[in-house]
Amino acid sequence: MAPHSPGSDQIDTLLWIGFVVGAILIVAINVALIYALRRYRGERGAEPRQVRGGRGVQLRVGAVLTAFAAVVLVLSFIFTDKARETPTTGPAGLASAKSEPLKIEATGQQWLWRYDYPNQAFSYYKLVVPVDTTVELDLVSTDVIHTWSVPELAAKRDAVPGKTNHVVFRADEEGTFEGDSSTFSGQAYAAMRTEVDVVSPAEYEDFVKTQKDDIQAAQDRVVGLIEKGEVP
Amino acid sequence: MIAERPKQRPEIVVDGYPRRRPRWIEMVTSADHKDVGRIMIGAALGFLFIALVEFVLMRLQLAVPENTLLTPVTFNRMLSLYGATAIFLFAIPLCLGLFYYLAPLQIGARGTALPRLGQVGLWLYLAGATVLYAGFLFTPSEAGVNPLAPLSELAFLSNNGVDAWAVSCGLATLGFVLIAINLIATLSRLRAPGMAWRRLPVFAWAAAVTSWLMVVIGAVMLAAITMLLIDRNFDGIFFADGSGGAPLLWAHLSWIFFTGAYMLILITALAAVAEIVPVFARKPLFNRNAVTGSLLAIAVIGTLAWMQNMLTAPIGIGWMYFAMIMSLALIVPFGLIIFNLIATLLGGTLEMRAPLLFAAGAVSMISIGLACEISHSMVAVAWRLHNTVDATASTHFALVGGAVFGGFAALYYWFPKLTGRTMGETLARFSFWALVAGMLITFVPLFLAGGEHGQVVDGYKYFSGTGVSTDNLISTIGAFVLAIGIIVTLVNAIVSRTNGARAGHDHWGGNSLEWFTLSPPEPHNFDVLPDVRSDRPMRDIRGAIAHRGRRAGESESRAGETQPVA
Repeated sequence: MAPHSPGSDQIDTLLWIGFVVGAILIVAINVALIYALRRYRGERGAEPRQVRGGRGVQLRVGAVLTAFAAVVLVLSFIFTDKARETPTTGPAGLASAKSEPLKIEATGQQWLWRYDYPNQAFSYYKLVVPVDTTVELDLVSTDVIHTWSVPELAAKRDAVPGKTNHVVFRADEEGTFEGDSSTFSGQAYAAMRTEVDVVSPAEYEDFVKTQKDDIQAAQDRVVGLIEKGEVP
Repeated sequence: MIAERPKQRPEIVVDGYPRRRPRWIEMVTSADHKDVGRIMIGAALGFLFIALVEFVLMRLQLAVPENTLLTPVTFNRMLSLYGATAIFLFAIPLCLGLFYYLAPLQIGARGTALPRLGQVGLWLYLAGATVLYAGFLFTPSEAGVNPLAPLSELAFLSNNGVDAWAVSCGLATLGFVLIAINLIATLSRLRAPGMAWRRLPVFAWAAAVTSWLMVVIGAVMLAAITMLLIDRNFDGIFFADGSGGAPLLWAHLSWIFFTGAYMLILITALAAVAEIVPVFARKPLFNRNAVTGSLLAIAVIGTLAWMQNMLTAPIGIGWMYFAMIMSLALIVPFGLIIFNLIATLLGGTLEMRAPLLFAAGAVSMISIGLACEISHSMVAVAWRLHNTVDATASTHFALVGGAVFGGFAALYYWFPKLTGRTMGETLARFSFWALVAGMLITFVPLFLAGGEHGQVVDGYKYFSGTGVSTDNLISTIGAFVLAIGIIVTLVNAIVSRTNGARAGHDHWGGNSLEWFTLSPPEPHNFDVLPDVRSDRPMRDIRGAIAHRGRRAGESESRAGETQPVA
């Protein structure tokens, strides 16, 4: 999996730091443990020296561990802060989103994501965003807690009923990115997936316009049918 | 005239001997901490088997992509039962059962302070277990391991499954709290002469720490469960948004409990290891104060890190950093404990018997689990890895390492005390290596599936083409190896209970007072209580006996010198 947004890039870096930190600890502890177990095998009855460690050793080991934890903490702060930065829309991005991010509302509902675009168009399952443009997703939920997760593009965040959560990202490449919902939400939870189509700004404008017109046409048709009395 | 003096009653009235009832009736009606503890440990191990069956069934469903072996509803029920069984019916009662049996013996008490309270605790736990599995009669819960509101609200799951879950876990939690209260009272008031807090065996110290922890987190969970039941049955609005309630309230309360329980299991396992390692290395614990202090720190700091599970929720970034600081601070106490355990091994004369093997396995597995949890505490990484099977893998390394490896280490170590017999060593070795292999084959692929491909946690299926099919197939194969490892030890315990080789009263040459009494102990635990002069009283007693034997031997040989040679 390759990150395709600045925030996701920072997350990726910190993920590798976490991996290295974990690997160091696992190797150090297990090598020491296996060494001690193999080296000091003895017979029952043999009495080893009754050594106890003093306070000094504990303080030194404690200091080393504290320093280690502090380094991990500082690195986490640095990269989390970078991952939280709101990127600015680039030159290839949507012109109308230069000063303010493009705001799209993502609604989690059992078991489908709905996306509402600024021009009142909406789409289900598939989110279409312009490339190189800062997009701010407002995550809300109409039923239970869902988590919007498209790891290549953005940090995952929960959509909690009654609250609004935010995800900001700027996709740096056109393409299709798959995503999941990663909070257990009932029966069809595992099938509640989503997809982000990153397209050129022109294609995006085109998409939302067509989508809006289609929706309007469908609504007009239904209204017409009702007026004609064909639909009760 | 002097009034006739009333007839003097004899001081001892014997109304005949109490009728001896069958052993099992004596056992289930007993308030003795050893009977209560044994039932609790036995029941917990039984539920380990049931949880294992559920786990293997779920893994079978996930063996191939888009599998239809289990329907989504069946899978979700299995998942909910598995979570409740593994945590509420296996891991926590195993820890508390071991403490309840052993801690009074270790401190030289002739019983517990509030025996009936502990007895009620046991039966509340068993009643909870009955309610959970009676759920099969109607419908089990479908709300997942942690039934997050509002999914667990009536509007979304309208059958009685969640109610059964809540009542079951509520009864069990209430039972745990009562047992914890009794342990606190016992450990505070009934220690033998000279058994100062600083001389308490580490396991008994951990009993005190976890009991306090359980009183705090148990109360929180009981409150949350009560609110959930009010919401579901009496039109409550605690977790309903829009009416003044808050879905995140359940998340906070339940994660306080689950995070605390996670710490409780690890504290128990590490304390059991800290009892076993000095006995099998024949050395004192490298630094007792560092270990006991660290165990206490883990209980406090670890539980304060509950929001580590909510790093993707709409909470302020400050709270996320708070959770991260608390989680990363745990590196220090956990690191100190592991350092002291390894330092105790160094320079010892190690006897590689089953308890030490499983103890080492517990340290190893817990180290893998916790090292991987570090990533999950880094806020930005949690935004990638939260609720992926990577989290499943880390949690299982830590908790299976704690409850199964640590629990089995304790079982192999204290089995002679509980039953007067030993467990088979060959089966133990086979079980150990199967468990180690099973853990690695089951959960290492899940690290890849979750970390690299973001496979979501608790899903009833995954799709082909997402790159996780091979990982999941390997993981399913591993689950069977893991199952073999667990079942072999369970069978070993069942068979050894009646057919194991007879054990001595001080089978391993232990350091603490439980080895001073018979195996299994008499109802009153001790005929006489020694004065405790160090943190290894049993070693002092053995030393004193050996010393007297030597003196007797010396005077005999001197007597021999003076005797004329025939």
